[in-house]
Amino acid sequence: MERYQRRVVGVALAVVHNQDDAIELAQETFVRAYENLAKFESRSSFSTWLYRIAANLAIDFWRREGRHVVLRGEDAENEIGKLPTTTGDSFKEVSRSELSARLKQALEELTPEHRAVILLREVEGMSYDEISDVLQCPRGTVMSRLHYARTHLRTILKDVAGS
Amino acid sequence: MAECGEISMMLGAFEDSELEPNEMQEVAFHLARCESCTGILADYSTLGRDLRSIAAEPSLAGFSSAVIARVDRLPQPVLTRIARLLRRQVDSLGAGLAWGGAVAAVAVLTIVLMTPLAQQFANRSASPGSSIATATHEAAPAANQVAQAASNEPTMADNDSHADISRLESENHSVAVWSEPRRDTTVIWLPDQP
Repeated sequence: MERYQRRVVGVALAVVHNQDDAIELAQETFVRAYENLAKFESRSSFSTWLYRIAANLAIDFWRREGRHVVLRGEDAENEIGKLPTTTGDSFKEVSRSELSARLKQALEELTPEHRAVILLREVEGMSYDEISDVLQCPRGTVMSRLHYARTHLRTILKDVAGS
Repeated sequence: MAECGEISMMLGAFEDSELEPNEMQEVAFHLARCESCTGILADYSTLGRDLRSIAAEPSLAGFSSAVIARVDRLPQPVLTRIARLLRRQVDSLGAGLAWGGAVAAVAVLTIVLMTPLAQQFANRSASPGSSIATATHEAAPAANQVAQAASNEPTMADNDSHADISRLESENHSVAVWSEPRRDTTVIWLPDQP
């Protein structure tokens, strides 16, 4: 369990973007894996099977919870208030804390599918094929979602830098 | 030269080294001449670093024990419960059998080593007379006759069923000398002279 738990949490976190929920979902992932161990077929690796359970649980959770929120309540208002009013023309010039706050918001604005692909790639370091296996979508879809997510995040961060 | 729109679709995959070799070459060729796409690529790279820097490292203390506790709380199907119960019974029965076997082995050893019957058996099987008689039977006709005579000797057999030949002392095959320690007697056997 120790071998996989960090990445299972990472996969769940990539989708739900909330630590407590991700840990809860990761625990549920191991319980489901235990219950369905007899159904595991060696067509994919055990780790991929485990991450797939985590991704499915996380996406289901996200849909069930209905968290399609662009900005979250008072916290989001506060974060917007903190954004710089005058900056240079590159987002590199925005202070790190502001950039981090805006980046977190921008991630929340993505759909769980888009957020999952970019976080699995950039944070978990998964290959396109691994992401394709875990999220059960074609490699081309992974590429197009990544392209969309990157373009979207870059645009938002450019706007922050230019506002 | 490829258009920026076409190349920009591949920039992310180029950054991730996930393109085919010919596509990697095409994008690299374009980047060498296009500042705009080079800027986008640099932003993607920065974006990746920023995403990694804000990624939280969740505390996983107690994670395993929490999972195990949840597994323990799972309702077990009836068949699984029965199988588990049977397995437990078989395990305990196996342990019982092992203990029983050990106790039986100790008991048998005790009987063999401690009881007079066993001692008697041990003495008999270790009796030099019998082995000597056997050995002599093979080696010397005279000794063979002696052994037979000893075993067929009515007085001996009748008077003392425990009479035994402890040793033969003669190396001459036509003469046998043996001692009977219980009778405190030494017997010298000579064959009939023709």
